[in-house]
Amino acid sequence: MTATAGLRRAPEIAVSAHRHIDLLTRIVILMVLALLLVFILLPLFWMLKSSFQTNFEVQAIPPVWLPENPSVEPYDLAGQLIPLWRYIANSLYVSTAAAVIAAALSAMAAYVLARFRFPGATLILALILLTQLIPSVTRIFPVYFLIQDMGLLNTFSGMIFAYVGFSIPFAVLLLRGYFQTSCPPELEEAAMMDGCTYFGAFWRVILPVSLPGIAAVTVFTFLNAWNDFLWASLLLSSGEMKTIQVGIGEFATESGVSNYQNAFMAACVISTLPALILFFFVQRWLVGGLTAGAVKT
Amino acid sequence: MSTIRIDNVRKSFGGFEVVHGVSLDIADGEFVILVGPSGCGKSTLLRMIAGLESISSGNVVVDDLVINRLPPRERDIAMVFQSYALYPHMTVRRNMAFSLKLAGAPKGDIDRQVQAAAEILDLVSLLERKPAQLSGGQRQRVAMGRAIVRNPKLFLFDEPLSNLDAKLRVQMRSEIKELHQRLRTTTVYVTHDQVEAMTMADRIVVMNAGRIEQAGTPMDLYEKPASLFVAAFIGSPSMNLIHGRIEDSAFLSDAGARIPLAANAPVTSDPVVLGVRPESLHVGGVGPAFGECRLRVVEPMGSETLLAATLLSGGDGAHGGGENIMILSRVKERYAADTTVRVGADPGEFHFFDATSGRRLE
Ligand SMILES: Nc1ncnc2c1ncn2[C@@H]1O[C@H](COP(=O)(O)OP(=O)(O)O)[C@@H](O)[C@H]1O
Ligand SMILES: [Mg+2]
Repeated sequence: MTATAGLRRAPEIAVSAHRHIDLLTRIVILMVLALLLVFILLPLFWMLKSSFQTNFEVQAIPPVWLPENPSVEPYDLAGQLIPLWRYIANSLYVSTAAAVIAAALSAMAAYVLARFRFPGATLILALILLTQLIPSVTRIFPVYFLIQDMGLLNTFSGMIFAYVGFSIPFAVLLLRGYFQTSCPPELEEAAMMDGCTYFGAFWRVILPVSLPGIAAVTVFTFLNAWNDFLWASLLLSSGEMKTIQVGIGEFATESGVSNYQNAFMAACVISTLPALILFFFVQRWLVGGLTAGAVKT
Repeated sequence: MSTIRIDNVRKSFGGFEVVHGVSLDIADGEFVILVGPSGCGKSTLLRMIAGLESISSGNVVVDDLVINRLPPRERDIAMVFQSYALYPHMTVRRNMAFSLKLAGAPKGDIDRQVQAAAEILDLVSLLERKPAQLSGGQRQRVAMGRAIVRNPKLFLFDEPLSNLDAKLRVQMRSEIKELHQRLRTTTVYVTHDQVEAMTMADRIVVMNAGRIEQAGTPMDLYEKPASLFVAAFIGSPSMNLIHGRIEDSAFLSDAGARIPLAANAPVTSDPVVLGVRPESLHVGGVGPAFGECRLRVVEPMGSETLLAATLLSGGDGAHGGGENIMILSRVKERYAADTTVRVGADPGEFHFFDATSGRRLE
């Protein structure tokens, strides 16, 4: 008999349990994930493949999963049925302006709130936080009348104004946290010791270091504005000025969606493209880690 | 290469004064260390020299020029921060070249100077890396490289080693000292670690609560601490401080121990504090007596042994409850806890302080 024979053994799961998942569990996990993926991607796939099919093929039962004669005709058709490119341009203009203005304003506000202590700073922060706790539907009437009183109904400026206002609180909170963790004051001070003016330090050091945060805020505001349906349909009534989301909505009701399902889907595909392209270009900024190692960890 | 004169400098934050009139002259090429407990105003003083903090009153003079109102960029002073503050979006090379580039130096000069600094600091192979790809010690060296590359009038260091582990800290300590011996640039170095101060400084300035307690060479401070604060702060393990009074050329501790003094001990009837360093106490042996001690804890450290002991009153072991003292024995011997030993000391190595003012008595 060995000396350890009578001792109890601790169960062996503890430390590396997750490394020893048995095959069955692994298969189950993979299947669940695959199912989820299908669930998420199926509508997108449906949209994409339908935009290259004839309307007859789209509505066929059983469904035709791959276009038999892929054609860009539905895209032409969509352009004929509604002023698609005009709507896209409207959306681009409104969303870009809102994103740039919101990012610039919130970066400045967040920088001050992150760096300086002054009377009322806490109150300002608390108020900003408070706006995030109020359900956004409650804003419909006040904002509508506010914009009406300013004479900005049915103008792009009114829309931009609204989007900027809605995005700023969250953007300020996000960027303030970003400045606090990724841009310690020593960075500016080091730059000033190295020969920068105050503005030089901001321009050459703080701004490049905060680019991922600012990019995140810009993209966030852009997508919010781009995807908005509610405010665009409330604040704009002129056909010329519709954004793409509203335009697609009208497309469905006015042209009779069942007759032109393929063109409808083509319009939808085009409306997702700018967001996709944008994401493709900024994703390297959105990936964090750029600032790791600036200061002690 | 520059001299600095700090002349009655004060600093208030919103009406609350944290630096109370500090004056200090620093010679060309000197390595001065500001040391003191956390919150005593070391960083604030350093940042006033750097220009990162305004000066409430008094003057900072570099080479006969009052620089109080110059912005940091016009002072030609380099600073190494505790957090290193490397620019995360730039490579090591660009970090080091940044100040030269801002100063408009020609490209050839920049390359040469960066290369020279990188060679001194052993950074040549790391020049194309970003700070995130460096270890703590390497980042520390880049921070120093950024400082030395432009050959400034003055180096400032604010606790540059406190984010390193103990072993690296000892290594960087000697690297910084070596660097200074090589470049001879006037340096002001802040730390709260008295060992760092003792080992690196030409001159130590001990600060406490916004004032200078004492300034002098490490040996000055060790041998003649001007106050109780300095006595307790400098030296490791720290000095034993025993409260009592002087009577008939002997020291009577509050707990009743009687320690014979030398003839040149101060004469006063006021309460005094007797200071004696742990390494001035010797267990057993001949020499003048300090007293009987009960060993409570024995901590062997290889070449030395640290003993926590109780000084027994009246040489009578039965009383117990005397002053707690530390003894540092450099004799190779095995001590046993809970034994009573005779402890000797040279009365010439005693320090006396006024118990109320804390000032040194001669
Ligand atoms: N910007 C500031 N505003 C208000 N008080 C400050 C500021 N900076 C430092 N202090 C105060 O000044 C004192 C000295 O600080 P500091 O110089 O950083 O001490 P040390 O570097 O010796 O630890 C501390 O009591 C600290 O709280
Ligand atoms: Mg400090």
